[in-house]
Amino acid sequence: MTEALELKSRLKDKGVFLAGGTDLVVGVAKGRLSVEHWIDLSGVPGLSYVREEGEELAIGPLATHAMLERSAFAPALAQAARTVGGPAIRNRGTIAGNLGTASPAGDVSVALLALDARIALVGSHGSRSVPIRDFFVGPGKTRIAHDELIQEVRIRRSADSAFLKLGKRQSVAIALVSAAVVRQRDGRVAIALGSVGPTPLRAARAEAHLALAGLAPEAIGEAASLVRAEVTPIDDHRASAEYRRAVSGVLVRRLLEQLAASSKPESPARA
Amino acid sequence: MIGSTPEAAGQAERSWSLSFTVNGERHELAIQPERTLLEVLREDLHLTGTKGACLEGECGSCIVLVDGVPQNSCLILAPQMEGREVVTIEGLADGTVLDPVQRAFVDHGAVQCGFCTPGVVLSTKALLAGNPHPTYDEVRRGLEGNICRCTGYMKVLAAALAAARAGVADDASGQADRPRP
Repeated sequence: MTEALELKSRLKDKGVFLAGGTDLVVGVAKGRLSVEHWIDLSGVPGLSYVREEGEELAIGPLATHAMLERSAFAPALAQAARTVGGPAIRNRGTIAGNLGTASPAGDVSVALLALDARIALVGSHGSRSVPIRDFFVGPGKTRIAHDELIQEVRIRRSADSAFLKLGKRQSVAIALVSAAVVRQRDGRVAIALGSVGPTPLRAARAEAHLALAGLAPEAIGEAASLVRAEVTPIDDHRASAEYRRAVSGVLVRRLLEQLAASSKPESPARA
Repeated sequence: MIGSTPEAAGQAERSWSLSFTVNGERHELAIQPERTLLEVLREDLHLTGTKGACLEGECGSCIVLVDGVPQNSCLILAPQMEGREVVTIEGLADGTVLDPVQRAFVDHGAVQCGFCTPGVVLSTKALLAGNPHPTYDEVRRGLEGNICRCTGYMKVLAAALAAARAGVADDASGQADRPRP
């Protein structure tokens, strides 16, 4: 890693970090990107891990979607990882790369945003930690400085979480809308959505409403309508803004209903 | 394995020496570092069973096994394969004896135009290696990254399930005696 950072500080803009390559290699093949020097991290040992450390999950810089898919630490995270591309893409694409690409439609980014992940960055001048809320700046833009790498991503254990995505197909499809909800152990509920704004976003007003009203059916209905008002989708060739707005409410309502059902384990199963 | 050296900058023809294993055979190649694994397999090693179609990781026709794991060869820069073991569709059959998965695809008419077939067969191979007795849904999920534009999915799923039933992963040798339809 040190060697990679040294190379980067020497090569400046002429050096581009490469790991899974699922975005960058396509960018070059399609002529969107021109790279003079690749700094390939994919063979660096010790960076490919997803491990539970007490009450936290640590995701290494070369951890793939396939690895996260198998983690039971946070259901939303595994569910989000599972919806990315197909198995071969998930075997190759990294979580750090997904964050760095900063697509408004990044599935795992949405789950990590709801989970309040912290992103550790390392550069030639040392390390720092950025909360994911501050990490995304715009489409393709993050707080990563030109000479920095993602060193690790960490989340805390939550009580429950869930993720849903609507795409045009069930797999190998970019999200038309995606959403994740998390119930923290203190009962607070977090809601994040993707593909409905320039970056993945948190539905702060809906969260505030749930903090007061809990997960009763009327509160869930109200939260879903607040979400419809909070998202800022655009029309594009995949879906209209109006459709995305409507789907945002539907996904969040379904997710919150799941949370409400699972938070009452004592209640008898419905027929 | 970090990066190309800055000293090589500005040279029109950069050469990278790559040493890796393909279908059990060791190869030492001098290649341009920006070429993909797909290009090197097809153009340098003449292993044209691996197909390139979308060239952006969407279709699965370029899937090969890297250290046993299915990956899209169009998304891999060849130098990233240093020291790795790659298996292409040419590496499955033992001489003229087809691999049990290949046999099941033939027996079930799961090959139409054939363009997606190498990727689908390798995905099936990897799926059964990790999960010898998958359910129908697990097979669907395991093959979700392979697109067939002939849309011959039903026969592909039938072939994959038949290969599993025949105990491909348990006994790869017990396949040659299976009756042909």
